[in-house]
Parts: sequence; C-alpha cells; structure tokens
Amino acid sequence: MMKRLLLTLAGLAVMGTPAAGQSLFNAAGLGLPIEALDGRARALGNLGIGLRGGSFLPTDPAALGYLTFSTGVMAAQPSWVDYASEDGVTGKVQGNRFPLLGIAYPFFQGMMSVQIGSFLDQHYQRTAEGEVPFGGESVATKDHFVQDGSISNLNLGFSRKLGDDYSVGLTVGRYAGSVVRTLTRTYGGDETTDVDDYIEQGEWGYKGHSFTLGAGMNVTEGVRVSASVQVPTNLHAEATDETRGADQTYKLPIQYRAGASALVGTGLTVTGSLKVADWSGAQESLSSVGQARDSNGFGIGTELSRARLWGKAMPLRFGYRQTGLPFSPNDTRATEKTFAAGFGLALSTSGDIVLAAADLAVERGRRSGDGLTENFWRVTISLLVSGL
Amino acid sequence: MAALGLWPIFLVGCEEQLPVAIGDQALPGEPVTVEITVPWSDFASNLEVFGGYGSPEDLGSGVLANQYEGTLDARTLVRFRRYPSVVVAVDATGASRPDSTLTYPSGRLVAYFDTIASTNAAPVTLALGATQVEWDATTTSWDYAIDTINDQRAWPEPGAGPVTAIGTAVWDPAAGDSAVFELDSLQVAAWADTTDLTAGARLDIIEPGSRLRIRGMALRIDARPSSAPDTLIQVTAPTREMTFIYTPNPTPPPDGVRIGGAPSWRTVMDVSIPSVIDGYAEFCAVVSCPHTLTPVEISFAALVLTSRMTDAAFQPSDSIRLDVRPVTDRSAMPKSPLGNSLIEERFGRPVPPAAFGSSPGVSIEIPFTTFSRDLLRGEDSKGNPATGTLALLSVLEPFSISFASFDGPGSASEPYLRLVLTIGPPVELP
Repeated sequence: MMKRLLLTLAGLAVMGTPAAGQSLFNAAGLGLPIEALDGRARALGNLGIGLRGGSFLPTDPAALGYLTFSTGVMAAQPSWVDYASEDGVTGKVQGNRFPLLGIAYPFFQGMMSVQIGSFLDQHYQRTAEGEVPFGGESVATKDHFVQDGSISNLNLGFSRKLGDDYSVGLTVGRYAGSVVRTLTRTYGGDETTDVDDYIEQGEWGYKGHSFTLGAGMNVTEGVRVSASVQVPTNLHAEATDETRGADQTYKLPIQYRAGASALVGTGLTVTGSLKVADWSGAQESLSSVGQARDSNGFGIGTELSRARLWGKAMPLRFGYRQTGLPFSPNDTRATEKTFAAGFGLALSTSGDIVLAAADLAVERGRRSGDGLTENFWRVTISLLVSGL
Repeated sequence: MAALGLWPIFLVGCEEQLPVAIGDQALPGEPVTVEITVPWSDFASNLEVFGGYGSPEDLGSGVLANQYEGTLDARTLVRFRRYPSVVVAVDATGASRPDSTLTYPSGRLVAYFDTIASTNAAPVTLALGATQVEWDATTTSWDYAIDTINDQRAWPEPGAGPVTAIGTAVWDPAAGDSAVFELDSLQVAAWADTTDLTAGARLDIIEPGSRLRIRGMALRIDARPSSAPDTLIQVTAPTREMTFIYTPNPTPPPDGVRIGGAPSWRTVMDVSIPSVIDGYAEFCAVVSCPHTLTPVEISFAALVLTSRMTDAAFQPSDSIRLDVRPVTDRSAMPKSPLGNSLIEERFGRPVPPAAFGSSPGVSIEIPFTTFSRDLLRGEDSKGNPATGTLALLSVLEPFSISFASFDGPGSASEPYLRLVLTIGPPVELP
C-alpha cells in the first residue's frame, strides 16, 4: 500500500512540473502566493488552521497531532480564469496545480509528516511589439518574455498531543524551486528572414527555510481553537553560472494564523480563521513596479456533517474568504475574494475509521486590483488515505 | 485506493496555459537593435586568389571560341567509346538474330549546343579535324597535349594542332541545337581503336566573335551486318572523354575577388569579428561605447561583395552560383580542405550574369551569422576551434569557363561586413 502511494505521489510530482500559471497577478513582485490547502479547507473558506479533527496542513502543525493513523494526502487544483483590464484587454487562462502532497506516520508517540506544498506561483509571459530600422526600412520586432518558475516548500513536521485536548507541532520547511526568465526578440518581415532571434536568459535557484510552530486546543468537546506562527529566513535566489543577472535576497514575512471551529448544533459546524502577514519587507529587494503589501485575510465557513450519499457520510461545506494579495501590478491593493462550496465523501470506512476519503471544493472568486480584474473558477480535489 | 489510479487521468485532461501579462507589467529591460557597417580593414585581411581547381574535362561539355571579345580562342577535344559490336539484324529468311560481323561504311559526328549559353545569333561554320598526336584529356591545354608529372608534351602547334581535316558544318541556332559532320569509313575505322592515344576529334569555330557551348557529342555509325548486307543499322558511340582548351589563360586579379572558371578560381580571405565595438556613430548613439561584443548579440552578420565587370571574354552567360566555406588550414592553401557551406541555398547563392557584364555594381550579401558567432566565441558548437579564413568559390568546380569578379579591398566598393546587433541588459530578477 505504501509503495503504491509513493509511486502515485512521484507520478503526480512529475506531472506537476512545470505547472502553468493561474493568474495574471503572477507577474507582480514575487508572484502569487499559493496556499497548501486540501479540498475540505478550501470548501470551508478556511486559511489553513483551526479545523476540527486531524488534518494535514503545513500551516496548522498542531492539527497533525490529532491524526490517529498513518495518513497520506494529495490535492490537485485546476482553475479557469477570465481576466479583464481597464484598457479593455480580456482573455482566459487555465492551469493545474498540485498544492499539497504528503504523508504522515506515527513517530515517537506523536505524528511525523513529510509534505510538499506550493508557496509562490511565478509563471507568466508577456509580448511587446515594436519596430527597428533595417537597411533604411522599418522592421517589426516582437519581444516575448517568459517567466517559468515557482517556489515550493518541502516540510518536515512533528506533532504530539498533550493529554486528550492539547496538541503542539513544529514544521520545518525548506523553500525550493527555480525560475527561468527568458526574453526573446524576433524580427518579422520577409526582408529579415536571415536575422536570428535574440535570446537573453537567466536562471535562478531558490533557497530558504521556514519554521512553523503551532498549538491547538479542544476547548470543549465541540470547540477547537488553533494558532500558528511561521517564521521564515530570507529567500535567496542564486543565479546559475551562465546567468548574467545578479543574485537576489528577499525578506519574507512572519505569518500569523489563528482559527476556530465549533459544533453549534446537530451536525452543524461553523469555522473561522485569520491570517496576518506583512510582505512589505520584500519591497526593498524588488525592482518591479508596485508596492508590496500585507496578505492579511479571513475566512468563515460551515459544515453540515450529517448529509449522506448512498449510505456513506458526505458532509456539505460552504465558505467565504477574503485575503489581500501581497503584490500588485501597480501601487494599489489587490484582493482575492471567493465563495466556496464542496463536500466530502468517505470512500472506505472500517467502523468509525475513515480509510479513504475525497474532498471536493468549488470556488467562485475574484481577484482585483487597480486596472485588472480576474474572475475565476477554482476546483480543489484532495484524496486522503489512512491506515497505510 | 482504486481511485488513486484515476487521479492523473482526471488532471491530464485540463489544458495548461501561461498567463499573458498586460499593461506595463514586468517586461525586463528592452534590448536595442543596431545595424552597423564594418569596413574591410576592421574585419578582414590577406585576400588571395587561387586558381587551378578541377579540369575543363570535369564539366563534360565543350567550348568553342574564335577571337571572342577580341581575345578568346577555344577548341573542343573529344574521344568516343568502343563501337557496339553486335546488332540484331533480319536475315534473308526473315529471322532476327544477333550479328557480330559488322562493317562500318560511314558515320556522322553530332554536336549538341547550349543555345542559351552560346553567344551567337547567326549561323556559324564549324570545322572538324582528327588529332595526330597523343593527348591527355585531363591535363591538356592550349599549349600542351599532355601535362602530367614527369611527362609534359607540347602540341606541335598550339591549340591541339595540327589536325587532319575531316569537314565542316554550319550550326544555325535558329534552326536547331545541333550540327552534323559526315564521316567516311576510314575516319570511322580510325576512331574505333580506343587504345590509340592519338585518336580524337578537334572541333573549331571558323567565324570570329562568338563563344559557343557544346552540351555533348555523339558518334552515329552506320553498321552493315554480314547476315543482311543490304541493310544499314545505325549504332551510337557516346563520348568517352570531352574537354576544351583555350587561350589566353587569365591571370589572377591583383585587386579583386574572382570565383568560377575552368579550372576554377577561389578567393581566400582572413576574417575576424571585432570583439569591441567603438567608433560607429549609429551604434554609440544608443549603446555605451566601447562595447564588448558577445556572440549572442550578433543577430545577423553578412559579408557584402560588390560585383564588377569580368574580362569580356570570360563574362558569364548564365547565373553564377556562389558558395562560401571556411578554410580548415590557411597555411595549406591552395590544397586546404574546406568546411561546410555557409550558404543556406542548396545550390549556392545565384548571381545573375548581368552583374558581371552590363550591370556591374550589384551588392551580393552572404549571411554567415553562425560562423561569425563561432569566430567571436573562438569555437564552434562542437567545441572545435573556429577557423578565421573563408573561401569564396563556385558551388560546383568547375561550373563554366566564365567566372565572377567582385571589387577587392582598397576600391570604392570594397567588401564590407554588415552586422545587426541586438544589445540588451541582463535579465534580472524582479
């Protein structure tokens, strides 16, 4: 069983490299933050912390301790985006992402995990057209720029329950990934067919670490509160030997998260979460247009856990979330707001133990900044397997 | 767990797309494109013309000329293959059977002309004669019948003479493309011995002022089989060797570029791509000078030649196909091997004949962008040292008696280097 799971994870990792971008906001600053969330958290509008039961989110290390058995999780996230600018430019873009892959295993009276989570998406392209004089005539040029890159976080976590109601956890992460920036100038027209393209390219590898400490507490039988703080090192981008461009170091923000879930009625759970992260420290290293800001946000949701399908539990979930985007193409604040709905489905159970479950979330959202608006559908589907 | 197996299939169905940034978003420093003209003295040196590549025999065709443009005389020499020894004849009983007992009472030599390459519009008289001394098709020339190592024998008379006159014929280009010479049985018998090194035919043109090109010749022989003595069967002996000799022999130009001819001419020059660009007003107006050039910044490089009038007697009557190849070892010239062609066209860069006659001064651009990058880098894509010597030549050697001429260094239209450079800042992180 473990071998099959690892092979599947490896296959997904290969498929996901390189991932296509999912937003025009990827072109701003360091890119668009991508949260390593599963389908359940997405459907509840959650920011990755404070959900009842055990969960597998790098941003909620303590929740790992509430897992009972060895567990594997994988999430996939296709999205479809319609964008429009104030200049009247419209278009569509779509892509897939694998925001979360991982396994957890009992270790030293607690639970240890290895996770790969998305952090920043940097894929985008841009084309600009112009003219240059050739032999006394004007010849069309096309400058095509492609940025192919992303940053992931490879996490090693450990969590342990303290008594029946308390749990603490620590996740140590290493940022990994690379970015290739390529500018190609091509020359159009019959009279310039012999003129070669001009290609200028740079490649950088990312390095850095993060440390996430979290704690959770079951206040009552139906109420869970959790909090975490993620402290990163600086993010270093090191150029390859062939790259003319310089190395760069970016200051990443400390991220604070808190969340709570409460069983307020029979089969009815409400949840809320907050995130505070100030990215403005990265501004000093950024040369691009725009001002780095905070990515503060909140999310609320509700879960109806008594719904069933074909005799199996199928909790229904609804949520709303709103977060700031740290980078924007201009000086104005950009935000992302989504309404979400979804459900879970227990695929295999043994008594009260869920051996395999799928969680689906469908989000309808909008990212907007001054001059650019994206309306998108985002689907997150995750599979969780226990008892490996 | 079975659902895990379907997971990749579910996702593969979704198309991946890359977002296209809009507005002023994140395009790294824009490069500038500048075109400069580098004079000969800044990129090339040591121009040298070499001759003697190939033999007129390699063309497989002939040339006739008599005081063409007041200077050129040319004659064509030919030998024929063994005559067919067996024919199928119908005997007195009406049966067809092979017969190898043949007599040859007569024959005809037929010459086929290239009407496009020949300069005459009016009929011309041609003379056919039989050579009298041994000659070698590969090395013969106007003065020498044989010119091999340790064996140099002059013609008794320059121009493959003397010959035993056989007859004359008139070729009228308006009437057709061939001329026919009648042969008697003695002449047919004389050319039947293929081991006789004196055997051969010489073709002359009587009227002055024309240059003719012979596409080919054939010997049509009347054969009489013993089994049917009242029957004549025509058999054909194709040419075994055909070449032409001419005078005067052109001398290497002291101040220009020459390619083509038979034997062929090549022009060799050393080239280097300036590693530092400075002093070009159009360049320094947009790029900080001096600028150290890198291979990736060369978007286009071409050698530009200007055609000039070729010696009148050797002016091309058809397009010259120009080829450019790197010279592997300049010190080994004229015998140095050449590298692969830098011309993309399969049969070289065609240049119309008027560029060397009625309309000189045509600029011929020979792109060699990859070569110039390798030269600047010091090695080619395979890591071999880049050669800095180029040979200009005809794509086929020899291709024609005529050759192409271009202005050389020091002239008003000397060769120059056209460079299109794209200079951009390094791509940096945002």
